[in-house]
Amino acid sequence: MIRVEVHDSIARIVLDRPAKRNALTPEMLDALTAAVRAQDADASVRCLLLCADGPTFCAGFDLKAAAGDTDILRAQLESLSAAVRTLRRFRTPVVCAAQGGAIAGGCALLGSADLVVADRKAKIGYPVVAIGLSPAVSAPTLEMTIEDSLTRARLLDPGLITGERAHEKGLVTHLVDHPDDVLACAQELAEMLAGKPPHAVARTKAWLNTLDRTNDDEPFARALGVSLATVGTDENRSKLASLWGDKG
Amino acid sequence: MSELALLEIDGTVATLSLNRPDKRNALSLELLDALHEKTGLLAQMPEVHCCRVVGTGNSFCAGMDLKAALDTPGAPGRLLSSIAELTIKFRNLPQVTVARVQGAAIGGGCGLVAVCDIAVTHRSCKMGYPEVDLGVCPAVVAPWLVRSIGAGRARRVLLSGGVMDGAEAYRLGLVAHLTEDGALDGAVDEIVGRLGDAGGVALRETKRLLNDLDGEDIAARVREGAVISAEVVDGPEARARLAEVYG
Repeated sequence: MIRVEVHDSIARIVLDRPAKRNALTPEMLDALTAAVRAQDADASVRCLLLCADGPTFCAGFDLKAAAGDTDILRAQLESLSAAVRTLRRFRTPVVCAAQGGAIAGGCALLGSADLVVADRKAKIGYPVVAIGLSPAVSAPTLEMTIEDSLTRARLLDPGLITGERAHEKGLVTHLVDHPDDVLACAQELAEMLAGKPPHAVARTKAWLNTLDRTNDDEPFARALGVSLATVGTDENRSKLASLWGDKG
Repeated sequence: MSELALLEIDGTVATLSLNRPDKRNALSLELLDALHEKTGLLAQMPEVHCCRVVGTGNSFCAGMDLKAALDTPGAPGRLLSSIAELTIKFRNLPQVTVARVQGAAIGGGCGLVAVCDIAVTHRSCKMGYPEVDLGVCPAVVAPWLVRSIGAGRARRVLLSGGVMDGAEAYRLGLVAHLTEDGALDGAVDEIVGRLGDAGGVALRETKRLLNDLDGEDIAARVREGAVISAEVVDGPEARARLAEVYG
């Protein structure tokens, strides 16, 4: 479900579950974290490109897998938090190619990247309050990346925004017209970054991570705790049940 | 030799000029010393409401004069430390600082822009932080840029290097006003005119509050940035890259 391809000092980590719109399971997130760590340890890697097969970058958690089992939902949140931290702390720049949509957990991954490419109509947001779940796990990276007003609107309102709007507000850094062009644009940016003096780039990223407290576990752990506390509540169970109830 | 920095006062409006046009106002130790001196004088002039910050000639500022510093041991570190202290001093000025950014503001020059309260540029101006392209780390400007345009945008700008045009700088929020080419001086005059006529105490107290919101440790971060940046400039990667660039 996760594929790694390394070419010319660029490590591509690919979400490879297109039939499920790359919906995230705990195993998939753990594999992602392990792959990111392995690339981080390889000094020849100068840029990480996080991308996905199929028309949608990532639809979020695989809720079908979690419908009857809130332990799976807990594991998804814990694994997501670990993946976000590991991506954020990656030694060299991380570029995310988010075509089509980056929703909930998928949007959390997007928020951990340094550069983000999306198409104008991509669907972006954190609609999990609709199932009685708090998206707080994404709050630390969003607060580091964009203005507070947009963070509030996105984490509290289950509605989605377009790639175009996310670009206006800085959550997406590079906008293209068509979903098919996202990966090529991201690859170009990755090549641009990988071509720069590696020590200067890595030192600059480390300094930015220091300035925004990326290396500090406390805000991430606290945010994860808030999300975990909403799992398995009556409202969460009943909303999940009604989501899947008529489909058995 | 003419003075490297000029300070003129006209009623409630001051103008501070980087005056090294033959070197596109590149920040040498001597120019920085002159700017420190003039900034110190300005800090003692509470009757002045605002200060235009300008570069003489075609460019606002081409950045740090690394070329001159590279041959002298310790000189890059002194240069970076001086720039760091100047940005702190600039930020703490009681006057509203208005950068008139024409032609080019690169690296340390664009750092001065980030620390001014209000920046104005024109569409085709070249701005940005190409430090990483030279193997250098823009660690001094980073705390200011994060404060100015937000951590996400600062991340993208500083890691990507290169330069952007004035329109892009305006879109990112690095400058507050964008004019067509050729209309810059008029726009700046209008802004400093408004500031000159406004309440001096109100401006000063508002700026003081905004500076408090920068956070207590921003000056410490900027100084720490100068140390990091000096380490990187002194490393083999930067030396090789700079030798290539400067021939």
